[in-house]
Amino acid sequence: MLLNPSARDPAARSRLIAALTVPVVLWPLFRAAEVEPGALFDPDNLKVIGHFLAAFLPPESGAEFLGYLARATLETLAIATAGMVLAFLLAVPLAYLATGAGREQPTLNPLTRSLLTVLRGIPELVWALLFVRVFGLGPAAGVLALGLTYGGMLAKVYAEILESVDAAPARVLRHNGAGRPLAMLYGLLPLASKELASYTVYRWECAIRASVVMGFVGAGGLGQLMDQAMKMLNGGEAATILLTFMLLVFSADGLSGWLRRSLDRPPANRPSPFGGRSAFFGLALLAGAVASFKYRDIDLASLWRLEAVNSIGTFVADFFPPDLSADWLDKVARGVWETLAISVVGTLLAAVAGMLLALPRRWMPFTVLLNTLRSVPELVWATMTVLAVGLGPFAGALALALHTAGVLGRLYAEALANAPPAAGCALRLAGAPGSPAFCYGTLPGAAPQLVAYTLYRWEMNIRMAAILGFVGAGGLGQLLYVELSLFHQARASTVIVAMLLLSIAVDQASAWLRRKMH
Amino acid sequence: MAFRLNGVGLAYANGFDALKGITLQAAQGERIALIGPSGAGKTSLLSVLGTAWAPTVGTAEILDAGDRPRSAAALARLRARIGTIHQSPPIPGRQRAVTAVLAGRLGRWPAWKSLASLIYPLDIPGAGAALDRVDLADKLFARCDQLSGGQLQRVGIARVLYQQPDLILADEPVSALDPALALATIRLLIADAEARGATLVASLHAVDLAIGNFSRIVGVKAGRIAFDLPAGEVGIPLLHELYAGEGGELPVQAHEPHFLSQAAANDAATRAACC
Repeated sequence: MLLNPSARDPAARSRLIAALTVPVVLWPLFRAAEVEPGALFDPDNLKVIGHFLAAFLPPESGAEFLGYLARATLETLAIATAGMVLAFLLAVPLAYLATGAGREQPTLNPLTRSLLTVLRGIPELVWALLFVRVFGLGPAAGVLALGLTYGGMLAKVYAEILESVDAAPARVLRHNGAGRPLAMLYGLLPLASKELASYTVYRWECAIRASVVMGFVGAGGLGQLMDQAMKMLNGGEAATILLTFMLLVFSADGLSGWLRRSLDRPPANRPSPFGGRSAFFGLALLAGAVASFKYRDIDLASLWRLEAVNSIGTFVADFFPPDLSADWLDKVARGVWETLAISVVGTLLAAVAGMLLALPRRWMPFTVLLNTLRSVPELVWATMTVLAVGLGPFAGALALALHTAGVLGRLYAEALANAPPAAGCALRLAGAPGSPAFCYGTLPGAAPQLVAYTLYRWEMNIRMAAILGFVGAGGLGQLLYVELSLFHQARASTVIVAMLLLSIAVDQASAWLRRKMH
Repeated sequence: MAFRLNGVGLAYANGFDALKGITLQAAQGERIALIGPSGAGKTSLLSVLGTAWAPTVGTAEILDAGDRPRSAAALARLRARIGTIHQSPPIPGRQRAVTAVLAGRLGRWPAWKSLASLIYPLDIPGAGAALDRVDLADKLFARCDQLSGGQLQRVGIARVLYQQPDLILADEPVSALDPALALATIRLLIADAEARGATLVASLHAVDLAIGNFSRIVGVKAGRIAFDLPAGEVGIPLLHELYAGEGGELPVQAHEPHFLSQAAANDAATRAACC
């Protein structure tokens, strides 16, 4: 082929269009999130956060406070464990109903699937806020809230894992006359069990982080202490509580890592696949679950007494019909836009910060920084960012960015380490300096993974952005919190529906973007 | 002088001695083929020449840079003058051919130019000309994961053509290409080296390709140099000795036994018939 000397890059036009569109889309979102870096250096704000941070040292270590702290920590662990048990009991039958695995004809089962979407789409903290109003302050609300949301998440992922493994063994068993449950037990479970167990353990780790913040809506645990400390601006107590958070999250991390590694070991040579370690682990699990329910008597049975059912009934009835008046809808629409802005701005800032922190990997201080950012939940960050920049959506975006930068930084570092090294090495051998070799060789290999991680995180952050308003950091959460405090259930239900629709829309948008990137 | 290896030994971290007592030198502009059974150390020898590995024993002077350049910058300058064609092309699948070829000059471009070129390729005619020489001009803007294995290998060769190095190292550059294309590609590399006065060192699996095209043949066996002769003096017995233990057959381009003696050609034909 003859070379046309005036050949132009055919991709240039679409790149130019993208480069022009992105600011046009992002600008209003940054405006809506009220991004104002200047607020960080405002003298009044600096004074407030300075005083607060100065009080961090020394951390509070009085015997009375440590006693409270120990009780709250146990309560947090109990909420997480009991919530996970509930979630698991809910997830197994729902996953069985929802999944297309083991069926002779693929069905979508719209009923179960939409139930799962509703369970997952409403953040656990909103469930907790509602349950606190029905069952009163205390851990029972937190357990139920975790159980419902995590039940929905587990069921969806279980269903997807079961669909993703090789379907042939189960199909053959069914053709040989086995029923669906048995065909799944013998044909699917051996293939999927490791991934199922690994995901469950990972979710338990998330449940600990989630139960930490339940206290912010009065559902017990460490969050309640943190909430009080922040309201009193007691830096010393806040420091001790934060250290406890980190300790808890790191130990959960370590334990779940150990559990997942032990799933890789080959089975021993004996008839039963379960040995001493499994028996010990099973007993410990059972004891932990029982103790969790007994502790501070999380008595779910009492929920089914007549008066409880009645009060639930009247409470739920108050939510219908949702308030659809024009000026309320207008307010909710503005809340939706603000929530979207918080999630997008927070995720973008986190992606940039995470990338910067991921590049100099194997450098100890950065690993510690990433882990610290990650171990403090978004809502706790938000209580501090509202001190630093004042109430409003910018505080929410900053809080999301801080936590997400820790998560993404770690994932990015892993993705870059796992990217095929040959391309970058070859360029360095041809004399390319570090950063061009990275951009031409390593980055293209890792890019799809980086984009996918960022988009997944955005899906989580939209749910988080919806509740940051509980501590005054803007978005739909602020509306919901205020209306529920004023017993305006009909208005609150409009907000909840809006949250649900927003999270569904973001899921769809993110799935579409991921397809586009391939 | 293109390079001078003096008593070079290379031991890997696991204790395996890949090279032992290699002494070899070449004048600028020479064209050398490395042949030998697999595992003989051809790739290790090319890695030492390409400064990927520093010899554990002995000295390696490459392109007048002396033994072991003093600074990282000096090493990078040296490496920019060495172009390597790898056995499997080290090109990310999502990169476009134009970018993959332009990456050949990252060692000489300033960093701002390299980064700007990711947004809009800064030397489209140059990349196009290099791809045209390997018959891939129409794939200039194609993504590399849409190319076949052979096409991708030729993109890797185009990158080195675009780099215009003083020393071209090629590690089995044509093993993924069909015989006719393999021959054309080897001739292209030789013509390019000849035209620019560059040195070419290629390891080749097929001995007929090596003897038919290169002036100097170096046989490598068990990490040592078995022979180092002009192509005309490499006879069948010598080759059989080099490849002893490989089943007594000589590896050749399957269908084009141009210039080996009739006996060897028959050998190959018999083997092809048996398989």
